[in-house]
Amino acid sequence: MTTQTNQRTWEDVNEGDEIDGFVLELTDTKMVEQVSGSQDFYPVHHDTGFAREAGHDEIFYNTGFTQAALSRLLTDWVGTDGWVKKMSFQMRKMNIPNDQVHAKGVVTGKSEGDGGMGEVTLDIWLENDRVGITTPAEATVLLPHRD
Amino acid sequence: MPKAVEGDYDIEAVRAEWIGKKTPRSHGRYPVEYDPIRRHCHMVEDENPLFLDPSFAKQTSHGGVISPPVLAGYFAGDGAWPPTGGPTQGQRRAGEEIEPEGSIIGDVPTRGERLINMNVAWEYFAPVRIGDELSSETVLTDIFEKSIRLDPKAVWIVTERRIYNQRDELVATNTNTLLTHRRPDVVAAEAEGN
Repeated sequence: MTTQTNQRTWEDVNEGDEIDGFVLELTDTKMVEQVSGSQDFYPVHHDTGFAREAGHDEIFYNTGFTQAALSRLLTDWVGTDGWVKKMSFQMRKMNIPNDQVHAKGVVTGKSEGDGGMGEVTLDIWLENDRVGITTPAEATVLLPHRD
Repeated sequence: MPKAVEGDYDIEAVRAEWIGKKTPRSHGRYPVEYDPIRRHCHMVEDENPLFLDPSFAKQTSHGGVISPPVLAGYFAGDGAWPPTGGPTQGQRRAGEEIEPEGSIIGDVPTRGERLINMNVAWEYFAPVRIGDELSSETVLTDIFEKSIRLDPKAVWIVTERRIYNQRDELVATNTNTLLTHRRPDVVAAEAEGN
C-alpha cells in the first residue's frame, strides 16, 4: 500500500510560490498512450497524413492529454485532502511529437474561502522548448487549514 | 462528426436555429471503473495513489478511489471520441442513442468537417467515485465565424455540459469551444471560384 504524503495546507502557501511540476517526453510511445488514456481516436492526433491533409505540419496532442497533464499538476499539488474547484485552459499552440512538455504554475492569490477550506488561485500552463507556452490556464483550488 | 454543408452557408440562420438547443439527459456507457482511470494516469505519468491504489484511497477522507477531475466527461459519455454508437450500448437507457456532445456536434451544420478543440473550462462540485453512474446534458450556447490561419471562415461552436451522478447531484460543469474548418484544398478551390 502506498503511504500518505505530507498534506499541503492553506497556511503553507504564499502568493508568488512557484510549482515546478513535471516534464513529459512526447515519444512515439507517449503518442499511443495519449490515444489510450484519452480514448480520443480523432485521427488528427495520431495519423500524420490526416493531419497534413487538414493543413497541419504534424499531428498534435489532444485535449484529453492536455487537460490530464494540467489536472495532474493540480492534484499533485493540492494533495489527498485538497480539491480542484475550477480549471480553464486555452490550447493556443500545439504540443507535437518529440516535444518535451513541462507543466508549471505559480500562485496568484489566496483567500479564506468557505466550507472550512482555504481558497488559492493559480496560473498554470504547459510549455515546450520549441514554441514556449502552448496552453495557458487558470485554476482555483481548495486547501485544508493547518490544525 | 460535423455536418459540413456544401454550397451556401448562412451563419445567421444556423445561429437562430441552434443557439440554446439542449440535448436530453444521456447516461454514460458504463459506471465509473478503475481501468480507464489507470489508463488516464498512465498517459501523463500520474502516480497519485488516490486514483490508483484502493488500499491507500480507503484510508483517506474520500474513503475510496476517486476519479481524476477531468475524467468526469469521459465517464458521462460514450467511452470514445468520436462517438462510436454501434450495437454495444452499455447502460444507456432506451431511446438514448448518442452521447450529448455527439448529438450537438454531430448535427449542427458547419462549413468544414475538420475539428480543433480550443478552450475548456471545468468546475467541480463533488467527487466522482468508483461505481458512480454519470449522466449529462449539453446546451449549445454560441456558434460564430472567426478566421483562422487554415480557413478564413472557420465556424466555432461553444457548448456547456452539466454532469450529474446517480443521485442527481451536479458533480461538474464543462464549457468547451471547438472550431470546425475546411481543408486547405477546399478553401483554395473556393478562392479560385470553383
